[in-house]
Amino acid sequence: MSEKLALLHPEMVLFAATCVVMVLGLARSAVWRSACAWLTGGALAAAFVLALRSPVTDGLFPHFLAYTKAMIAGVALLILPVMSGTVDRWYERRVAKGAAFDALRVTRGEFYAFFLLSVTGVMLCATADDLIWLFLALELTSLPTYIMVAISTPRVRAQEAGVKYFFLGALAAATFLYGFAMLFGATGSTSLDAITIQFRGEGLSTIATLGLVMALVGVSFKIAAAPMHFYTADVYQGAASPVSAFLAFMPKAAGLIVLIQLLATVGWSWGEAGDALPDAIRVALWVIATLTMTIGNTLALLQSSAKRLLAYSSIAHSGYMLVGLIAGPGGTVARNGLAAAMFYLLCYGVMNLGAFAVLASLEVRGRDGEPAEADAIDDLRGLFRVRPGLAWAMTLCALSLLGLPPLLGFWGKLVLFTSAIGAGEIGLVVVMGLNSAVAAFYYLRLVRASMLDERDPDAERPIVTEALGRRLAAGLSAAGVVGVVVFASTLQSASHAAATPNPRYDEFLKVEAPARQSPPAATPTARHN
Amino acid sequence: MSDPTTMLLAASAGAPDSSVAWLLQVPLLPLLACLLCGLFRAWGVTSKLPGYTTVLLLAVAFVVTLSGYLSFGGHGAQVVHGFDWLRVSWGDGPGETLSAGFSLYIDSLTWLWMLFVTGLATLIALYSTEYMAEDQKTGGYARYFSFFSLFVFMMSCLVMSDNLLLLYLGWEGVGLCSYLLIGYHYTKPSAVAAAKKAFIVNRVGDLGLALGLMLTFVHFGTLEYREIFARLAEIQAVVEAGGSAPWQVELIPLLLMVGAFGKSAQLPLYVWLPDAMEGPTPVSALIHAATMVTAGVYLVARFLPMFALSPAALGTVAWVGAGTALLAATIGMAQYDIKRVMAYSTVSQLGYMFLGLGVLTATGAAYHVFTHAFFKATLFLACGAVMHGFAGQLDLRRLSGLAKVPGWRVTAVAMLVGCLCLAGFVGTSGFFSKDMILAEAFVTPGPGYRLLGWIGLATAGLTAYYAFRVYFRVFHGPVEFHAGEEHHGDDGHDDHGHGFHPHAPGWAINLVLIALVIGSLAAAAPYFIDKEHHGWVGGLVHSSTAGEIVRASAGHGEAAAHAGEAAAAEHGGFFGDPHRWMFLASSVVGAIGILLAWVIHMTGRVSADRAPIADALKARLRPWSTLAEKKWLVDELYDALIRRPLRLLAHILALIDQALVDGLVDGVGFAPRLFGKSLRPSQNGLLQNYAVGMGGGLVFILLVVWALS
Repeated sequence: MSEKLALLHPEMVLFAATCVVMVLGLARSAVWRSACAWLTGGALAAAFVLALRSPVTDGLFPHFLAYTKAMIAGVALLILPVMSGTVDRWYERRVAKGAAFDALRVTRGEFYAFFLLSVTGVMLCATADDLIWLFLALELTSLPTYIMVAISTPRVRAQEAGVKYFFLGALAAATFLYGFAMLFGATGSTSLDAITIQFRGEGLSTIATLGLVMALVGVSFKIAAAPMHFYTADVYQGAASPVSAFLAFMPKAAGLIVLIQLLATVGWSWGEAGDALPDAIRVALWVIATLTMTIGNTLALLQSSAKRLLAYSSIAHSGYMLVGLIAGPGGTVARNGLAAAMFYLLCYGVMNLGAFAVLASLEVRGRDGEPAEADAIDDLRGLFRVRPGLAWAMTLCALSLLGLPPLLGFWGKLVLFTSAIGAGEIGLVVVMGLNSAVAAFYYLRLVRASMLDERDPDAERPIVTEALGRRLAAGLSAAGVVGVVVFASTLQSASHAAATPNPRYDEFLKVEAPARQSPPAATPTARHN
Repeated sequence: MSDPTTMLLAASAGAPDSSVAWLLQVPLLPLLACLLCGLFRAWGVTSKLPGYTTVLLLAVAFVVTLSGYLSFGGHGAQVVHGFDWLRVSWGDGPGETLSAGFSLYIDSLTWLWMLFVTGLATLIALYSTEYMAEDQKTGGYARYFSFFSLFVFMMSCLVMSDNLLLLYLGWEGVGLCSYLLIGYHYTKPSAVAAAKKAFIVNRVGDLGLALGLMLTFVHFGTLEYREIFARLAEIQAVVEAGGSAPWQVELIPLLLMVGAFGKSAQLPLYVWLPDAMEGPTPVSALIHAATMVTAGVYLVARFLPMFALSPAALGTVAWVGAGTALLAATIGMAQYDIKRVMAYSTVSQLGYMFLGLGVLTATGAAYHVFTHAFFKATLFLACGAVMHGFAGQLDLRRLSGLAKVPGWRVTAVAMLVGCLCLAGFVGTSGFFSKDMILAEAFVTPGPGYRLLGWIGLATAGLTAYYAFRVYFRVFHGPVEFHAGEEHHGDDGHDDHGHGFHPHAPGWAINLVLIALVIGSLAAAAPYFIDKEHHGWVGGLVHSSTAGEIVRASAGHGEAAAHAGEAAAAEHGGFFGDPHRWMFLASSVVGAIGILLAWVIHMTGRVSADRAPIADALKARLRPWSTLAEKKWLVDELYDALIRRPLRLLAHILALIDQALVDGLVDGVGFAPRLFGKSLRPSQNGLLQNYAVGMGGGLVFILLVVWALS
């Protein structure tokens, strides 16, 4: 029992912090209220350390939890400073000037609590070993984000985005829940291990295939993959940039983890090679990946809004990660597509955050005279003259997203390519290569706007927000894009270890199989993925 | 220990050991200095802080190197594993993983290089703190020291790497620093042109190195020295048993050699080095005389086991080396810019080093690198002191009798000692190291090697002449000097032009000059330590990878030479021992050169620009003297044969590009946009449309799955 609890230590810390932060946000003293962010950071740091000490499980990927949870906590720590000054900024300023404090008006506590809850959900997705658990974890990831989008800025557009996100999210949840129900119907169990045993013994029935494909398509919503990608641009644009940065990573990580969990029931531990996905599933993923990359990149070409551009770029990157999933795990770093996807997720998390953080650091004076978030690509023009540091951060992150050597994105993409080549998916490699080339067009637009273009003399200069944390996050991400390269090999080895299938998984399943027949209370060994 | 293979393995198979991890400080301290100076630049520090930080950190790096040498110097090769830097694999088989760690391979050859690189870098950084002081306010000071430290970092990567890829990083890195520092005065068109020239000419050499590196990987399946040397030992054994080496092993040295010729300024790629003197003088001293340009020598010495298996490469190295030595010496004789004379003399001395490698005396080459590093740094820094004090004046026709000007004594002594070493005067360090190379050239069997010996000997005479031509003209004769055109900003020298007062070097410059004079003289001492291996350097080379293989290659190189030497020693014949009669011959030649310089440039000299005999000789020797002054028109030849045709080709290609390629690219760029436009209506912002899209997409995917499986 205690061993099973040890798996959940990071989640427990985060959840405890959630409860405290939620109350703390209501404190009368401004100092206590501002402690919310610091407490959140402390909890994430503690979760990071605990995640690294996650016990080795005897599931299919024994080292999966440590890498995944540490990555989630690490990137969350990087996202946190971007959040500074997102909620209650104007209200807090009025209070500081002497206005009466009204606990009903503040949202800071809720905001950080939802932040933590969502991160907890992502981690639970990795720990889950049951369909019901998976569903709950996914919803725990998403539900707080709906509210975060809506309260991120007082503008109407944010509320519109929140509502859209919520309804479409519900539709997607219904889709994958329906898929889960079919899986249960086909196998008679919600336990992933039991489903795996069932599939191994009897193969995939039609209803199980249908269920799996529906689940995959439903979860595609979380990673913003086609055909569930429609919401992305509207929601990312409507939400405040810091929240968009959060949306572009956390739900995506959760979705990718759930996809790996689901695919593990049908592939990667089967047959001689041990890494083959059934044809039907492979075709479905192939279609999703190709559509996602192509739609994301071509639509990004047409954008004049930097936030929409980054939204479409995040769609395209989901497509790249799916390529790794199709390639599946393999014996070497170069061949292990799963590890490549997990490593790419990390690279993407860092470089995408950098781009969003630069946007979040900039404001332009809106029509009503109040500063509004920078959104258009044109708002970046002349940035080099005003803030060379931010312009460099944007340049490095955009070039890394483009996959230019020697930046981080290149190393991420390289293993995706080698793993897909190793798996014989030449068609996908060609599609991905063409898409990467197309992507150069729009990433270079960001670079050109911030580094080369001069500002129109009559246009307003971009104003840099006073929120230091956002610039800090931009600088850290840019430094990471350059500096982490040095440790790229080490991180790749770590992701490879995380995504290397357990050679003794078969034995484990054999022990497990009869145990599943008995009542749950008598389950002798806990199985954790 | 008689079996060469076991000896090689013993020397090259030092296992990774964590107790030596502190040696990583040697490259990392300069990197730290580079980052700190970069920060100082960003913070707008205008004090001498960047300079002193650099000096301090480099000094610590030197101390670490020294203590490392004292602890491990005699222990064979050490491998210090830093971290996995690069690992790209595309399969499980051998040769399908390209891996390169940030790891150090340290044997005695590395120690030799690192000792003088860190030691000289510290001294020259100290010199620079005074020399560059005028740029403190503009922020150039911090920039200078940042690049300077970066150079030391890159040079340590180059020399200490345990694989060819890290060496390549260092190789390109020092090239970059060289470019940045030559172009330090980036508002000066000539400096920018020189920087570009250095960079572009080096590209040609680097192409060779890159190809060599790739071929090495293709053939050996690895880039790590230990594995390469182990494989080479096997090939060596096959060759000794009467087999032949694979063609790749004969070709790789030729490619590496091209890289070495570029970096070390050998024919035909030497043209960048004389122009590189546009950089600040301390940079010329450190990068373009003492350290970076010896990287090529290091590369060949490191891979001497492979060169020994490729007679074609060895012969080329020897001939090109000797040819460069002679050509550069003739040009150096006719130049009036004293820094340029030193530049050509560097090219010429590098030629000697390659001659030494070509005739397989790695000891001679390495020893000459070592002594040359000291005396050439001395010479450059003395020139720099003159340039600094006389507002950029470097023309030997406009400076005279400086030894008699108060405050310039140290500089004059430094110049004299430097010139004596360069001329190979009896008993100086240059004397011993040069003779070692020349003697081996005479006795080593090879294609026309005896002739190379004569060329080398003649060049030694020319060297003595041009070195003392500079010394006599600038430091002796009537006292007379004219200020250069360089303005010193607002440092109190408002008395330019009329009544010009040179400002004599301060403590930092004098201290460094004295240290280097002592170093130049003391560099002769190692010759007498460890007599068995021709001196301390010989001992170092002997216990490195270069030493073992060479000794093993039977009937070839030093082994044969030493056999003959031993025989001669038994017979007691004076002329039987090449080293003994070489001493005599080169003493005589050197003395004649110095004497000639005295006669030609001191007799009847009345003013700085008038030396009757020299002027008469120059008129007499027309057109040869003019041609030599114009550097044998090599630059013009390059211009006509390479630059102009390339330019023409570029113009033609530009036309094709505009007409054809641009159109194609525009067309290609058009298609994705069109596709995107067709998708655009799907993103109309309406919730219900999105829901329909999602549902439709699900049905579409289910249909595809149903249809295809």
